[in-house]
Amino acid sequence: MKIIVAIKQVPERDAQMRIDTSGTWIDEADLQWAMNEPDAYALEQALQLREAHGGEVIVLSAGSERVQTTLREALAKGADRAIHIDAHDLAQRDSLNAAQLLAAAIKPEQPDLVLTGLQSDDMGYGQTGVLIASLLGMPHASLILQVEKTEAGLHVKRELEEGWLQHLDLPVPALLTIQSGGSKLRYATLMGIKRAKTKELRIVPADDLGVPANQSVQLEGLATPQKNTAVQLLTGSAPEAAAALIGKLKFEARVL
Amino acid sequence: MVHLFTTLAEPLPFPLAERLLFIALALASASLFLWRLLPILKTICRAKRDSDFKLFPLHRRVADFIFEVALQSRVIRQRPLPGLAHAFVFWSFCAFALVTLNHCAVGLGAGFILPNSWLGRAYSYFAAAFALACAVSIAGLFIRRFFVRPRWLGEHVSVESGFIALLIFVLMVTYLADFLVAEGTAAAHGLWWLHTLALLVFLPLLPRTKHLHLVLSPVTVFLSRGEFSKIPPLAGDEDFGLVAGVDLTRIAALQAYSCVECGRCTEHCPATNTSKALNPKEVILGLRAYLNDAGTGSSEPLLGKHNSQEAIFECTTCGACEFQCPVGVEHLPLIIGMRRGAVNTGTWEDERGAKLFLALERGSNALGLPAAERDKFIQKQNLPVFDGTQEYCLWLGCMGAYDPAGRAVVADFARVMNYLGTSYGVLRKEKCTGDPVRRLGNDLVFQQLAESNLELLAQSKVKKIVTICPHCVRTIQEDWKEFGAPPPIEHHSEFLARHMSELPTTHSGEKIVFHDPCYLGRYRNVYDEPRSIVDRAGIRVEAERSRERSFCCGAGGGHAFLGEESGDRISDTRAEQLTATGASTVAVACPFCHTMLRDALTGQGGNAPALVDIAQLAARSLPNSTQSSSS
Repeated sequence: MKIIVAIKQVPERDAQMRIDTSGTWIDEADLQWAMNEPDAYALEQALQLREAHGGEVIVLSAGSERVQTTLREALAKGADRAIHIDAHDLAQRDSLNAAQLLAAAIKPEQPDLVLTGLQSDDMGYGQTGVLIASLLGMPHASLILQVEKTEAGLHVKRELEEGWLQHLDLPVPALLTIQSGGSKLRYATLMGIKRAKTKELRIVPADDLGVPANQSVQLEGLATPQKNTAVQLLTGSAPEAAAALIGKLKFEARVL
Repeated sequence: MVHLFTTLAEPLPFPLAERLLFIALALASASLFLWRLLPILKTICRAKRDSDFKLFPLHRRVADFIFEVALQSRVIRQRPLPGLAHAFVFWSFCAFALVTLNHCAVGLGAGFILPNSWLGRAYSYFAAAFALACAVSIAGLFIRRFFVRPRWLGEHVSVESGFIALLIFVLMVTYLADFLVAEGTAAAHGLWWLHTLALLVFLPLLPRTKHLHLVLSPVTVFLSRGEFSKIPPLAGDEDFGLVAGVDLTRIAALQAYSCVECGRCTEHCPATNTSKALNPKEVILGLRAYLNDAGTGSSEPLLGKHNSQEAIFECTTCGACEFQCPVGVEHLPLIIGMRRGAVNTGTWEDERGAKLFLALERGSNALGLPAAERDKFIQKQNLPVFDGTQEYCLWLGCMGAYDPAGRAVVADFARVMNYLGTSYGVLRKEKCTGDPVRRLGNDLVFQQLAESNLELLAQSKVKKIVTICPHCVRTIQEDWKEFGAPPPIEHHSEFLARHMSELPTTHSGEKIVFHDPCYLGRYRNVYDEPRSIVDRAGIRVEAERSRERSFCCGAGGGHAFLGEESGDRISDTRAEQLTATGASTVAVACPFCHTMLRDALTGQGGNAPALVDIAQLAARSLPNSTQSSSS
């Protein structure tokens, strides 16, 4: 199976984020960058499929030079080769435009399967993967936890709300967006990093793909959430109040 | 009535035929000895060189040789009675050097020690004294091995070791019996041949038994790596640790063949003592079996037939094994080397282990918590931030920054430093020192953490570090050396001991037992400083296993972050040992010991002793001290 995994490099979870002077993005000066977590699960899924059925895993990412670190990390974990779409104007591209850019790079490869993370840790739109599928004319499914190869194509498990799971069958080629937590991530190894040095990392300038930057959705501004405390007084007898509390914890605070 | 002669009886000179027989037998014995020994030497020499081996400075090697080989210091100190017995056997062998030479010379008619001369007589009495000591000792050791059967010698009773003990006994007795027979008699003649046969049978038996240590162990001790748990750097792009036979170095092979199977390592291993699969002696013997089986050119994995991955990963790196070994076997670099081989190539699959590695790949601490929590702690505790001007950098470590017990210790230590007027500051952006991943063998993550932290220290202009965690001390001072020049660092017990006289004393009169952390005691030789703090706070009692024999709490080797599914809990076992002293308080000096023992003591129920760090003991004496709860 020829599998392409589209990866986004996002600011590290632990980063202290400050809004920049324009008020429309975060100050990137002191940030550390890491692989988007759902994309890490997508990569893991791809590697497991290759281990079971053979084939090739290609990782793909758009951005400036710093995304090469994340691509190398993917190569170290076992991907066979990498494609870096060299673009310095991602801030001027919305989800649709980014999807067009990625689709243009994916199309000539003619993969059997394209995997993306469900959504990105930074913007969290959850659209890019399904947009790519639409642009490439591929059947797709999202929120995928597990993928199995079958005679006819793929059998996948989707995560729905309230603990429900759905099983689907798809033909290939197809695109799946992968949810975090569906498998156990492998750790990066020294051997992987050393081997990654010799694996192909091809740079494709964004201009070559013929998808100029364009925004139909514009980010107007960013603000840090205001913290306020609110008190809700639960009335009634002890059993009633307890029931009401459980309800609040379960459905509002979502900690149960 | 047995007549005791004052001189040794030598036989009459032998006829030619007998001399030729002696020569033939001696040549046969020597040939058989060499025929069996040379393949082993070849295996050792064929192994790859140790890239970090330095012969100089010689004085350390010579000192080790004198103390450990000649004076048998470790042999005696750690197991006094059997150790002394063995020492006598060894010293007798040395004392007998000339005796044996002369004995053979007599067989050829060229005896050079004249039994009637003043010197000859003096030497024979000297040798006889040793022979007596040796005979008694070897008999005692035989009884111990075959009748008393101590656990740590293993269940399998070795017939060959019994036979060799018998040969040694015969050698000594035949020498002593020479004082009971007259010169030139048939009895003297018979004794000569009996002694000779014992020698000639003994020699070829050496190479294929643990008695090979007679030949190897002085060399092993002399050529040892020298520092405790000295993990060699990886040599080049294709080196991932000890994956297969090709990765075993000469020192590793030499040590594998030197093991005498005494079981001292096993006796003190916390994993073996809690019924786990790991047995340090079997690790070394497993390497020996591998070498005999596959050799140093093999690509068959070391963790397979002769050593199991499960056992190797049960090690807490407490070092009790390496500390005890009297023949210079250094277990830790071998165990950690095999772990490296598994982790660096991705063949170790452990859910919690992977979680730890992933947490440190992406984040800054081993607990997987957001770095913002650390900042919150620093602010809430009003800890001064290091700005390059203060004397000390107080390194928090993962436990000190994120763990509730660790934080309480940091808070109390900070109070002490404030009282003393010490100038210190904490760094805002520490990352884990990498101790757990280093001991588990993940060189990729370790290198990333070490380099990142070293850069931070250099940029922040840190000159001196003090910290509450012995693992941080060890990792920063020793393990980071491979990637840069770490600043000097000390443990808070060393700092406190130095300033003890400036602090008020509050002696509570309660019984306090101090639990020696592995990484402070065996790794750093710091035993007295924390005790000086305990002495000012209460009446110190000692656990049966204390100081260099302290029993691990179970958290080392990355185990604070892994599961412990088989056998008894190491922490529970240690907690029982500490409670058995009758102390009402257990004092610790390591946040990992603190966490492990807190849970173990809680499990003991209501009457369990209280648990405090020595920093908290010191802080108790300060004015306006509130009894800070440690749990």
